[in-house]
Amino acid sequence: MRDQAGESTDCGCSGDCADSGESLARREFLRGATTVVLGGLSLSYLSVAAADINSDGQSQDGTDGSAAQETGSPVTESPAGNPPEGDILFGFLVDTGTCIGTGKCLSACRTENDVPEGNSRTWVERYVHFKDGRLQVDLVPETGYAGSGLPLIDPDEVDRSYFVPKLCNHCEDAPCTQVCPVHASFTSPEGVELVDPNRCIGCAYCVQACPYGARFINPETSSADKCTWCYHRIMRGEKPACVEACPVDARVFGRLDDPRSEINKRLAKVPASVLKEHLGTHPKLHYLGLSGDVT
Amino acid sequence: MEFVFPNDSHIPWSIMIVLYPYITGLVAGAFVVSALYHVFNQQVFRPVAKLALVTALCFCSCATLPLLLHLHHPLRAFNIMFTPNVRSAMAGFGFIYSLYMLLLIVEVWLVFRPDIVERAKSHTGATGFLYRVLALGDREITPGARTLDEWFIRALAIAGIPAACVLHGYVGFLFGAIKANPWWSTALMPVIFLVSAVVSGIAALLVLYLVLSRWRRVVPDAECVRALTRCLWISLVLAVSLELLEMIHMAYESGAEWHVISSLLSEKLSVSYGVIQLLLGSICPFVLLLIAMQRRIRPAVANILGGTAAVLTLVQVFAMRWNVVVGGQLFSKSFRGFVEYSVPVGGREGLVAVVIVLALPLGVLWVAAKLLPLWQHEESSDTEMVSS
Amino acid sequence: MNWKQLFLRDGRHLRILACALIALGVVTYLVQGQMIPETFGDLGPYRAAALEELKSRPSVLQSDATCLKCHDHVGEERAESPHKSVGCLHCHGIGRKHVEIARRAEKSEEIEIPAVEEWDGNPLTKVDLYVAHNKQACLSCHGAVVGMPEAFRKIVVADHLEEVGALDDLDEETIKSKGVCLECHGNHDPAP
Repeated sequence: MRDQAGESTDCGCSGDCADSGESLARREFLRGATTVVLGGLSLSYLSVAAADINSDGQSQDGTDGSAAQETGSPVTESPAGNPPEGDILFGFLVDTGTCIGTGKCLSACRTENDVPEGNSRTWVERYVHFKDGRLQVDLVPETGYAGSGLPLIDPDEVDRSYFVPKLCNHCEDAPCTQVCPVHASFTSPEGVELVDPNRCIGCAYCVQACPYGARFINPETSSADKCTWCYHRIMRGEKPACVEACPVDARVFGRLDDPRSEINKRLAKVPASVLKEHLGTHPKLHYLGLSGDVT
Repeated sequence: MEFVFPNDSHIPWSIMIVLYPYITGLVAGAFVVSALYHVFNQQVFRPVAKLALVTALCFCSCATLPLLLHLHHPLRAFNIMFTPNVRSAMAGFGFIYSLYMLLLIVEVWLVFRPDIVERAKSHTGATGFLYRVLALGDREITPGARTLDEWFIRALAIAGIPAACVLHGYVGFLFGAIKANPWWSTALMPVIFLVSAVVSGIAALLVLYLVLSRWRRVVPDAECVRALTRCLWISLVLAVSLELLEMIHMAYESGAEWHVISSLLSEKLSVSYGVIQLLLGSICPFVLLLIAMQRRIRPAVANILGGTAAVLTLVQVFAMRWNVVVGGQLFSKSFRGFVEYSVPVGGREGLVAVVIVLALPLGVLWVAAKLLPLWQHEESSDTEMVSS
Repeated sequence: MNWKQLFLRDGRHLRILACALIALGVVTYLVQGQMIPETFGDLGPYRAAALEELKSRPSVLQSDATCLKCHDHVGEERAESPHKSVGCLHCHGIGRKHVEIARRAEKSEEIEIPAVEEWDGNPLTKVDLYVAHNKQACLSCHGAVVGMPEAFRKIVVADHLEEVGALDDLDEETIKSKGVCLECHGNHDPAP
């Protein structure tokens, strides 16, 4: 640096100007870089610290934690019967590793929401990888496999197999809501993608635009229909019907805006993924243990 | 490979959504021919210029019919204009369609104003009243008014070209912008739709001109037929090239979803794409038109060859619309299985409704031909030449 | 002669047309303004009343929290058991009518809460409230199916009885009966 400065004084005005400009730019850059690095470090420290505080809160407050477990909903969520208050952002988590494929969630959803036969707001897929390399995908029957009459698979031929529950992804950048020509599809203040059945013209453009096959035209109302995360239930502080019905907690519903909610605790443990991430829809439905074969 | 999402078991967009772009395509194509005459002063199209314009209007007037038949809540159709979502590609439809329809009505009115004013004087009764209303009380057309009209017709024809492109290109965009569907999601889609619209418009005009000439026992203008044949050939080559380009591009890239598209083409669409769209609809007319364009060919033979080729290209464009619209829904979004679709005979979206929707614009054209002189230039070409 | 003069002298029909188009535009604009539904745009680009309409739908499935308000002992029994996340509705049905009647019965002593019914064995049953003392209810989860995670307890009744050495303790009739599981396992805390 000193050498350069000496040269520049020798060189005269024009060179000097250029050089000082250059060093100024360099200094500017260095300052910028330092800020970015320091900022990044402090941010990451902050997030680590915050995580620490959270985990501390969880571990120290043993009583609170168990109370939350007992009622099945985190403490911060309002008890059943009371509508949640304030700014809310709901989210949903599916743990494919724990689903046992009983189909309880399916009949619960159909009963709760009066979903007509032939369409589904939620379904469970079964992926069976055979030892010979074949992959078979089928749907879990709503009555469960027992007594469904489906041909049984010989477990000895199976390499690995798992269930994947599906429902509306309630995308942050929902293609269905984007394409609705009449604003009948909309995002509720709580981040739930909903359909106004009294405005829908039944063009089915949203059905085409949904990459997840979550939408359908309800033959009874002739309007677009889809999973609402049981909007009527969650706004009373209840859990969605499928979550209520799941015997193994493979489905978790809660508030993404609350770091202490069960969904955020489970999301923090293992990396979660979303379906068809490359489409940039940013789903609020997250998956744990999602296999790459799932479409 | 047999897994279909439970909501994909039947297709949401049926044959009516095949018909809709087919009809607007005919509108856009026919309008382009009339614009070639009015804007670019291609005198060779003079015999069909009025027919082209009125055909465009007749088909445009029926273009919403397949959409209304498709909508599950047709009575709420106007919601699309009351609370339009500007982020939706579909929301523009109401406004684009209305403006284009308005433009067509005004242009047809201006083009036929001399005839309307003429008939307002000579006709009595209900038709006479209709003509007098349309004439807005004018008893004659001054040379100054005629100059103004000519100027406005030209301006409208110029404005109509982008409007027709928007009306139809946007239909292609509607499909091309669906990222959920790999068979649709390509930026080429609006261009392909537009070019094939021109193909179908010219072909429809050629068929109409030849059939109506035979019906009226008039010899069709050989130069005009040859010019239409040439235009049809060029636009067909362009359309098929683009269609193949899209397909070859997809195959060469072999993206994540190519496996489902390749089996779609080889299994589900083998007849409608391979045989009808490519072999029967593209290669056959390509050869036939090439022969019909030759000056050595006698006009009578050229008419038969050109007419046959035009009918085949109309089939090609319909097959193309079918393969895009229906083909894109024949595979589930699981990309692991296929869906069945066959057109029912009855019902709102059945074959009978299809025939009615396709016949209705021709019926409207028949009525329009009764009210407006589509062929007047043949008898009074001298006087018109003087006035223009 | 320039265009302006020409338009003023010979363009009567065009002026009428222009007026008609302007009138059409104004009418369209006015009608459009009238046809926007109430509450549209109050909270965002949609009909805000739709939110209330969707919310007003009654909850059909009763949540555990509702059941445990009265049946609090079950919650205690279940809390530490392997079945702590199994909801009441699995073995007892929707219970909507039951809760309605129970709420009314709280206020008036005249109303009697009807007894539970027998389960008809149908997983999609419309029976409002039942007690499933039935191995089918247990096997609807624990019956082995390809796809289940390794760690989940899968039961084949005959093998299981042999495994735990219960074949000698139970007579043949009991083994074949619907309630065989409950011979060893509690209903709310199934630990043997």
